[in-house]
Amino acid sequence: MRIETIRAAGGRPAHIRHDDLISAKGVSVVMASQLVLQNIDLSIPKGSFVSLIGPSGCGKSTLLKVLAGLVNPTSGSVSIAGLPPVEAARKRMIGLVFQDANLLPWKNAVDNASMLLGIADKSLSRADLRARGREMLELVGLGDSAHKRPHELSGGMRQRVAIARALALDPAVLLMDEPFGALDAITRDSMGESLLEIWQRTGKTIVLVTHSIDEAIHLSRHVHVMGIKPGRITGSLDIGLPYPRDLSLTEDPQFVRLLVQLRTMLRASHQPGGAS
Amino acid sequence: MSDQPVTNLSESRLASTWGAVTGSWLPAAILLLATIVVWEAVVRIFAISAFIIPAPSEIAQSLVAQWGTLMQATLVTAGEILFGFLVSIVVGIAIALVIVRFDWLGRALYPLVVLFQNVPKVALAPIFILWFGYGLAPKIGLILVIAFFPVTLSMLAGMQSVDRSLLSLMNSVGASPTQILFRIRVPHSLPNLMAGTKIAATLSVIGAIVGEFAGASDGLGYVIQFASTQLDTALVFAALLLVSVLGIAFYYAAEVLERIIVPWAPKFSHA
Ligand SMILES: Nc1ncnc2c1ncn2[C@@H]1O[C@H](COP(=O)(O)OP(=O)(O)OP(=O)(O)O)[C@@H](O)[C@H]1O
Ligand SMILES: [Mg+2]
Repeated sequence: MRIETIRAAGGRPAHIRHDDLISAKGVSVVMASQLVLQNIDLSIPKGSFVSLIGPSGCGKSTLLKVLAGLVNPTSGSVSIAGLPPVEAARKRMIGLVFQDANLLPWKNAVDNASMLLGIADKSLSRADLRARGREMLELVGLGDSAHKRPHELSGGMRQRVAIARALALDPAVLLMDEPFGALDAITRDSMGESLLEIWQRTGKTIVLVTHSIDEAIHLSRHVHVMGIKPGRITGSLDIGLPYPRDLSLTEDPQFVRLLVQLRTMLRASHQPGGAS
Repeated sequence: MSDQPVTNLSESRLASTWGAVTGSWLPAAILLLATIVVWEAVVRIFAISAFIIPAPSEIAQSLVAQWGTLMQATLVTAGEILFGFLVSIVVGIAIALVIVRFDWLGRALYPLVVLFQNVPKVALAPIFILWFGYGLAPKIGLILVIAFFPVTLSMLAGMQSVDRSLLSLMNSVGASPTQILFRIRVPHSLPNLMAGTKIAATLSVIGAIVGEFAGASDGLGYVIQFASTQLDTALVFAALLLVSVLGIAFYYAAEVLERIIVPWAPKFSHA
């Protein structure tokens, strides 16, 4: 791939690969004297939609936290647009969404959506924050629930607010850890559709951790399969299906073929592997 | 009514309204009334001496006869409770904030606070009288040592139960510990804090009465002690009644405060 010099934030030139926004090289993580992640290599192009899938405990959440700068790798290196993740996060380049929306119950939807932005950028006035929060709520389809408190929202709506809160930072990367894991199947599907729409409108780079094979194929451009003991990437699959995709995709023979392929890879990943 | 067709909706609404009323205070009121009637009857039938158990009617008479004295005493005790209660809340919150914000200080302070909680605080009353005299100060001191603990403990529990992913979110955008404390931990702790405050309200009443028992020249605790030395049991009961009213009043004041401060807290109902 072509190497070129781009201007990194702060004016320093940085040598990064042309279109890799996220890159992890030889990342290993040891926690409580257990090898949680082993030698992870990952490069995610700008604007891509990537899913991580794998058995419970294989380190998906840990890998996401490493990318977010919340966990330091024991060895190896990670860069987000040429910056160490912690620095990238401080520059509001990383948006995080977890399985639990974690909204503040004493704030309404708009104020929840702009809460992190308010902390990240102290120069913004209350009115600026409100305007931004409202704009993001519109984007996630919650324009008319702006003044509702979290307890007045459904689980799906709360999760939309959480996505709005991440997007309010205008991050380059959206890291999502099982964001729809606690939702029912129907809500899950419509959240997936919305996420695709948001992705196409904003051009964010999305990394999604999911347990759903369907969801991974439906939404992403690439799927990385992770294996357990130790946590590592055991395989990757390009989803060649064209966008825009909708739910009728699930009947497509191509979809079914990918489904079978991914399931086979996942089954293999459940077998513990030795050090390599 | 019976020959009018009633829709299911209004029927169930009627039933639920009735249920809400009977479910809340009606059974308690009936039981209370029955107890008073039986109490009066038993005292009269068995001719129990008024200085052992006065009949409700005698208590009522005493209440009316001594109204001026009792009101004056109630005002004094209410003042002590209010002052002591507020001081307990302020000190309780301050200790909790210090423990959470300053890690090393917290690790030093927390065990001491818990250790102190195991001192029988009521036994401190005579010492406080010795130190602070017979005025307001020893009562406030006693209420404080009795009532600050549930405030501190409940607020700590609330501040420490913030979800880790929320803290991750805050950390990722570079929030400072002070921002996390005041934007997240403190508001998150308010429902717990209000629960602790209600306990403190009840304990404040106990603190004030014990303080007055140990040494006072006024207040309901003083009236109770004085009346019992005079074998005026009816007056003791009348004062007790007013103490209970004070207790209930402070408890509900705390509850009203709770509804105002944390309207977003998950509601828990008895129904
Ligand atoms: N803070 C920690 N300290 C010690 N061990 C940890 C810690 N966090 C995670 N682990 C361990 O790392 C391994 C991977 O955990 P992780 O949460 O990343 O898995 P996961 O793939 O996200 O699982 P799931 O699908 O259940 O969410 C687990 O064995 C877990 O016990
Ligand atoms: Mg996980």
